[in-house]
Amino acid sequence: MMNFLLAVLSQTWRSIIETWRSLLLSLMTITLSVLIFTFFYLVYVNTLQVGNRLDNDLRLIVYLDEQPNEALQQEYRRKIEKFEVERIVFVSRLEAYERFRAQLKDSNDVLEDVPKDFLPASIEIYPRRTLRSLSQLKDFSAYLERLPGVLKVQYGREWVERFYSFVKLLRVVVLLSGTLLILTTTFMIGHSIRLTVFSRKKELELLRLVGASNSYIRVPFFLEGALLGALGSAAGLSALYLLFRWIKASFAAQAAQSMFVFSFFSTPTLLAIVILSTLLCAGGSFVSIRKILSV
Amino acid sequence: MSEKRQTIIDLARVSKTFPPDVHALDDISLRIRQGEMIFLTGQSGAGKTTLLRLLCGIDRPDKGYVEIVGQDLSRATDAELQDLRRRIGVAYQDFKLLPDKTVAQNIAYSMEVAYRSRQFIRSQTEKLLTELHLADKQDALAGYLSRGEQQRVAIARAAANEPELILADEPTGNLDKETTGLVMQLFRHCNEQGTTLLIATHDHSIYDFPGSKVVKIENGRLAIQKPAAALKKAEART
Repeated sequence: MMNFLLAVLSQTWRSIIETWRSLLLSLMTITLSVLIFTFFYLVYVNTLQVGNRLDNDLRLIVYLDEQPNEALQQEYRRKIEKFEVERIVFVSRLEAYERFRAQLKDSNDVLEDVPKDFLPASIEIYPRRTLRSLSQLKDFSAYLERLPGVLKVQYGREWVERFYSFVKLLRVVVLLSGTLLILTTTFMIGHSIRLTVFSRKKELELLRLVGASNSYIRVPFFLEGALLGALGSAAGLSALYLLFRWIKASFAAQAAQSMFVFSFFSTPTLLAIVILSTLLCAGGSFVSIRKILSV
Repeated sequence: MSEKRQTIIDLARVSKTFPPDVHALDDISLRIRQGEMIFLTGQSGAGKTTLLRLLCGIDRPDKGYVEIVGQDLSRATDAELQDLRRRIGVAYQDFKLLPDKTVAQNIAYSMEVAYRSRQFIRSQTEKLLTELHLADKQDALAGYLSRGEQQRVAIARAAANEPELILADEPTGNLDKETTGLVMQLFRHCNEQGTTLLIATHDHSIYDFPGSKVVKIENGRLAIQKPAAALKKAEART
């Protein structure tokens, strides 16, 4: 076993030395593919995090034409609680006025001559997470609008719709770049192996004549593929990390004021990307060598 | 006594035809036992190389049965054929050396595929190269050697993995008398250690080994099968 390992490792090393140019080209392509895929994936993951943060603040405001009495409030509560809501808050005209006044801070003197009941009463509804997909929000909002005494329902619909469209688009881009990664990786591995087989044609012929087993011929290509996958993904992720640091440093001031707090991949995710790339390249080389050499 | 020894090569009514209708081998039957040294002679095109190619599994016969070291070649799987090739050493007429590899690397291939230890490979390479007067060429690229030197490297590779059987196709074709002596000396050492040898050759001067046999092929058919000494005597009389 030890001798087998030493033999295939020395074969692999010899092959790498002989075909380093084509391997370097493959390595660069894999690095670039991993960089593209992980870039979009990182944007997607961060966007989802932003979405989660927004979700936590998300509420529907139902404006009412009149201040509801206790009985009407119970009636509204009963109808709203048919849906999955976390919390329902009734805001009276006076409470709305006080909130507005507090928001105006030093300029609240503009309200001096305004009657305290000029703002409508409202119901603030905080939906549960299960209710927060876009279509459910729309349905819920439509239902609320049909309730008696409701003037208007507001939940930043346009903004939420745009955000979810963006998330959908990102998901497609991530899937496409993932497909691109798989295609380019397997193509480049296949191409690199074809070049290696071509440049080592006589040697492979000799190996067969002296009785090399299929594993002896196959394993070095498999190891080469795995090495390309591991190095390519590590290089791609390193480049992404540098890019991430640069973006973070460049937009640190703006980010601090907004809700966008960018974060990099966690260690398990990084490991998963490296392992998957390694397996992908090793698998690609295994399939290619079986196809090209029938071993 | 020889009947008790294991059969290493068993050919029964073997024929091989190349297109359009070149009968390279025609109804050849031959049995070679362990430890024998056989010289396969015949004119160019008689079928010597074809026979060696059948024996190392490069070609398959059209008819007949070929068994090597107990392995029926017609039924051998890929893995069995690979295993068989690791147990026999072949010195090809065209050497099959890799010109951009060193002499040591070329010899090492036959041992590496058998997963021999590095130490064994190193010591065996040094021993064989010393025996064939090529010790100073160990790190030279095979492509820069003379034909005679390349031939000796090919022979060293065939013998390196201590095979049960060595097949050599014109192993002294490019050698002078002195180096021919070295190669035959090496073959004799291998034979003394139990290796069976089948040497295809034109060179009558090399088969004066005690106990060796000569098998002559003419136009693809087996013509003579005699002890080398008897054949030498007969040739001397004529």
